[in-house]
Amino acid sequence: MAPDTSSASGASPLTPPAPDDKPSAPPVNILPSLIARIYSIAHPALLLALGATRFEAVVADPTKELLSTLPWLTLVQIFYVIVCLPPAGSTPSTETSASAPADGRSSPRSSGPGGAVRHGKHGKRKQHANSWACIWSRLLPALLSLSLTFALATPVLTILLVLFGAPLTTHNSETVLCAAHMAVLSATALTYAHGLDRAVWNEVWGIARPADAVWGSALGTGLGAWFGAIPIPLDWDRPWQAFPITILVGAYIGHAVGSLLARTPLVYGKRVKFTVEEVSETEKKTN
Amino acid sequence: MVVTPPAGAMETSPNPNGPKSGLPAATPRSSDQSASGQSKRKQAGLLDKKALELEDEFKAKHFGVMGVLAWILLLHVAGIYLFTKGFLLTRMVLENKSSCDVLPFEDILAQPRTTALGSKQQKGCWHEKTFDKAVVIIVDALRYDFTVPFASKGESDTVHLFHNNIPVLYETAVENPANAFLLPFIADPPTTTLNRLKGLTTGTLPTFLEAGSNFAGTAIDEDNLVAQLHSAGKNLVHLGDDTWQSLFPGYFDTNLTHAYDSFNVWDLHTVDNGVNEHLFPLLRPENSKKWDVIFGHYLGVDHAGHRYGPNHAAMASKLQEMDRVIRDIIAALDDKTLLVVMGDHGMDIKGDHGGESDDEIEAALWMYSKRGIFGRTSKDTLLPPQFARDRFVPQIDLVPTLSLLLGMPIPFNNLGSPIEEVFSGPRGNNWANLATVNRLTAAQVKRYQHQYALARGAGDDEESALLWTAAEEEWKSASKGFSSKSTAARASNELYRKYQRHTLDTCRGLWARFDVPSMIQGVVILFTSIVLLIIYARGLKTDRTQLTSRLLQFASMGAGVGAVAGSVLGLTGLTEISIVDGAVLLAAAGSILGATPALIKKPASLPLPVPNGMWGWLALFFTVSQSIGFASNSYTIWEDEILLFFLTTFGVCAGISSMRQRQTTDRVLGVYHSILFVILGRIASFSRLCREEQMPFCRSTYYASSTSSTSAPWQLAIPFLVTLFLPSVVRSFYAGSKSYEGAASLWIGFAFRFGLFITSLFWILEGADDGEWLPVSKETLKFIRVFLAQFVLALAFAAGTAAYFYCKPCVSINVSKPTEDPNSPPAPIVAGQQQGPRTTVTILGFGNVYGTHFCFLLINFALAIILMQKPMGQGAIALLLWQILSLLEILDTNNLTLSNSSIGPVVLGVLGSFYYFKTGHQATLSSIQWETAFIPLTSIQYPWSPLLVILNTFGAQILAAIAVPLTVLWKRPLQTHDRVPASNPNKNPATRILSDVVQAAGTHILYLATINLATTMWAGHLRRHLMLYRIFSPRFMMGSVVLAVVDIVLMVVAVGGVRWSTLSVGEIFGW
Repeated sequence: MAPDTSSASGASPLTPPAPDDKPSAPPVNILPSLIARIYSIAHPALLLALGATRFEAVVADPTKELLSTLPWLTLVQIFYVIVCLPPAGSTPSTETSASAPADGRSSPRSSGPGGAVRHGKHGKRKQHANSWACIWSRLLPALLSLSLTFALATPVLTILLVLFGAPLTTHNSETVLCAAHMAVLSATALTYAHGLDRAVWNEVWGIARPADAVWGSALGTGLGAWFGAIPIPLDWDRPWQAFPITILVGAYIGHAVGSLLARTPLVYGKRVKFTVEEVSETEKKTN
Repeated sequence: MVVTPPAGAMETSPNPNGPKSGLPAATPRSSDQSASGQSKRKQAGLLDKKALELEDEFKAKHFGVMGVLAWILLLHVAGIYLFTKGFLLTRMVLENKSSCDVLPFEDILAQPRTTALGSKQQKGCWHEKTFDKAVVIIVDALRYDFTVPFASKGESDTVHLFHNNIPVLYETAVENPANAFLLPFIADPPTTTLNRLKGLTTGTLPTFLEAGSNFAGTAIDEDNLVAQLHSAGKNLVHLGDDTWQSLFPGYFDTNLTHAYDSFNVWDLHTVDNGVNEHLFPLLRPENSKKWDVIFGHYLGVDHAGHRYGPNHAAMASKLQEMDRVIRDIIAALDDKTLLVVMGDHGMDIKGDHGGESDDEIEAALWMYSKRGIFGRTSKDTLLPPQFARDRFVPQIDLVPTLSLLLGMPIPFNNLGSPIEEVFSGPRGNNWANLATVNRLTAAQVKRYQHQYALARGAGDDEESALLWTAAEEEWKSASKGFSSKSTAARASNELYRKYQRHTLDTCRGLWARFDVPSMIQGVVILFTSIVLLIIYARGLKTDRTQLTSRLLQFASMGAGVGAVAGSVLGLTGLTEISIVDGAVLLAAAGSILGATPALIKKPASLPLPVPNGMWGWLALFFTVSQSIGFASNSYTIWEDEILLFFLTTFGVCAGISSMRQRQTTDRVLGVYHSILFVILGRIASFSRLCREEQMPFCRSTYYASSTSSTSAPWQLAIPFLVTLFLPSVVRSFYAGSKSYEGAASLWIGFAFRFGLFITSLFWILEGADDGEWLPVSKETLKFIRVFLAQFVLALAFAAGTAAYFYCKPCVSINVSKPTEDPNSPPAPIVAGQQQGPRTTVTILGFGNVYGTHFCFLLINFALAIILMQKPMGQGAIALLLWQILSLLEILDTNNLTLSNSSIGPVVLGVLGSFYYFKTGHQATLSSIQWETAFIPLTSIQYPWSPLLVILNTFGAQILAAIAVPLTVLWKRPLQTHDRVPASNPNKNPATRILSDVVQAAGTHILYLATINLATTMWAGHLRRHLMLYRIFSPRFMMGSVVLAVVDIVLMVVAVGGVRWSTLSVGEIFGW
């Protein structure tokens, strides 16, 4: 698997050039190995299938079921990012990566978790590394991204859910678990692929990332959860209309759709435009 | 907060010689400047002339745009009128009266009159009378569950304070069934006292239109029980609620009658004490010849409900007082007199009424006589039912019952049935009598139906005719072998009864008949006016003020031609349309047709009004998705939560957009205000008043408890918090652009705060009155309160408006020499300017000259609206003001102020609707806080009382509407004619402001008009829906009233107010 990472940098010229005044990371590509490419497509489907099988149980007892499925979801996501995504710092964020053609991981301006960089160097020393070291070099950033997901993303999403109208005095465990699921779906891959890159996170808060599988799944999770709130007030008296269920269903569907859609050539690398000026600006640049 | 220097202060160096210096902005026309040279004065004269021209142009165009807004208002009113006329139920009022000597049967007319009229009246007209006299007591809002021992409906149901306090009715009915009975008494909505009294005396069904006339009752011209009693020569006495006086003017004995003001709901005792004072002397034996029927109307229970809610000690003691009163009346009663005690409606869990929820319609009826004439036809009916739904009588049943008991003819329009308990005899087996009274009633119903069908030009209903024939057959067979126990009598009784109920149902269906063509006309007018508004507010690229004269000319010509044509059409009688309707319809259509060519004169200046950019789409999405949502009763019920969802969505989008800003200050300020905006909205969402349909997923926090309508003691702290923080918050927004100068510090820092403090005192006194904390009489407290409230209103409206008209912009102008002031940064030195010691003019607050001045108007209205809210609502309005200011900063940092984005006015619309719910209102009639009319007044005064209630009800929407011009004025850079770009030299910058303001106002109206059109269309489309009168119809009415109120406020206050803020800026900085 190790040599594959180098070719990840080779894929970057395919992406449309980012605006030069925004020195942020280009869109993330799925690793080119066959397993990665197959699994990256199977993964959203797998998540949806798993969600569908547990749907009844979630309706019956949301708190218990969400809690018991959270470790499994986390494992599946970890597996996905390790298999399919380049860890933070491995992708050359800018042209500076040309200085290290042999090993894409040693990006000098990487502000990602130090562990990733160190192990990258470690891997450089042992060119013919055994696969264990390689896996370890992936596993550590994955674990770090997990801790960030639970320590930062979950509270932020919980607050957002409450601000959007989730009950504050009741249903607290549901809210937190819903936020945790959404965080694992969206933030794990983001932090794994980008670490704490300030420029990237500025773009994330501004919904200005170029579309790729990572960003597409994160944005899809958020939008899906937003649309998932719509059926809650309806008076159909269905048990699945209870608070976190529709939001989570929306988030899962949004995650799957987003991660697949963002990789299609039509969407890949494009950015969300807010105002007409932004649109015309990019037109000027491309011309 | 970080401030960009150009937005905060402007520094400039006026050149005394060169005409090219040309910064009249920096030559304030203060008197100390007048000591300049002669040449400068000439120059100033020229400038003045040009400025005067520009000023006059601005004033003229300002009137023009107000005219356009007035035209839009009239279009809306016309559309709403036409729809309402077809939608609200109508019923023909027949003038026929029943008379004593004409029995309702057709065959009787042919018979010779055997008995003289005099003896008939002695024994009773249509039926032998049972009582000579009656005392009819109405205990307003006497709900059925107040009168029966508490029976648990479920596990969570426990005894409340209002239970088991008035046991006399139940006790007598159980102990002496022949002397008394107690039954649930179901009202036909709307459950307002005026409508209920109409139903209780005419025996007919109300139509919805009458719900609005509670403030000004009109005399009943239909046949009714009171009129029958009066024409039979009975001496009638009325005591209590003065609604009777407006319904039955001139029917009551003027010497004995005493009416009391009915709307002062703060006052629990005046009416009741007055009734007691005059009732009991009349009951004494020596006075018994003076009267025949007394109508006593107690209001204490109703007022306790409105003021405190049912679950309050005041309600318990009021009910106990009623218990004593009824016992006293029983003791004073003689054998010949019937005593009736009833509620005209119930009350919801907060003690309000008007709608059609179960609690509101379930009243109680109790009749008592010392003679023991009441019976029960079955053992099951011996005890009064535990719950109101078990075995009830409709309220209109009182009319035939009381008429026949007192020997009166049944009023012509009656649809009620005689109450079984009254006519079945003490042993409950007098079927012959029951059959007789039911036959009489049914015959009268039949006669009425026949006349109504004739008047409508329709035939009789076949099914009811069949029922009637069957009943008559049975009756005839019964009268052959006549005995009181005969089964035939019983069977015919059943059939007559069936006939009556069948007719009642038919009438309910009949009067729910809508005039669909008129509704469609209204919807079409509303729809086309929205299309025009879309073109006017969102489509045009040109200056809107240039269109005004042509637009108004064409529209008024069209309206004139249409009005004439409509009147002619109505006069000729070619169509069924009346003159007024025809004139309104064609005038509206004519003005629309006339205005269209004026608007789309040049297709080049008319791009397709499609939103550009995310903000435009978001605004469109908010408007359209909400409009679609009103088709579903769920989204209508949960509107408050959905609005919070939208507001948070906007806040998140604003935060995202702010993150994309290039300037760090814009980014930081934008993100800060976006987060603030979202959090403030979420805090406000904790103030809730749940509607019945939201239960059990909602917890009311607006009042002390869900069964109360007073504030909890801790809530009285909210006004003080508002006093403490709100002026400082407003100040921080002024200080952001260094505009806390001039009048601002006096008005915001002192007057506004003082007004808020007085408001807090007012509500403390209010709480003291409720809780009886102070050893001061209620009159004194009320006097002080009214004084305080009037003072605050005077401060807000009289002093505030005067201050707004005359005060200068919030800027401070310092003239200083740079060498003497080392702290100030050096003035920019322009090449070619002469060097040397010069004075530097520093203008603080320059970056927000238009906005800060106009904001005074917003603050004035905020003060008045805060006074008119309950403490929880005051906190909500304070949050609203904060959120509005935060929104303005978001708009500024995201460059949405000058780009005329639709998002600002639309989010203001969403904010207005959201805070409507956060100030203790719902889209239901019962949530109207009528009692707030008495905050600054002691009695009902027109037109002030309705205006005060509007200020309370639609305070949030009014405040949001006034803020609309700020979406284009806030931090707008100063523009004068010599500062505009050279490409457009003849342009008056003041009219550009006007054009932007009217565009924002148009967009705001567009949001509300779309909501109104949607609710109107859905109400019309779902007119057969089960929830029509509970959900869709109130929402439609709310949408219409909000649209009209906001149209007027935008025209008069918001756009009207722009005149003075622009003039004051022009006065200082030139035009």
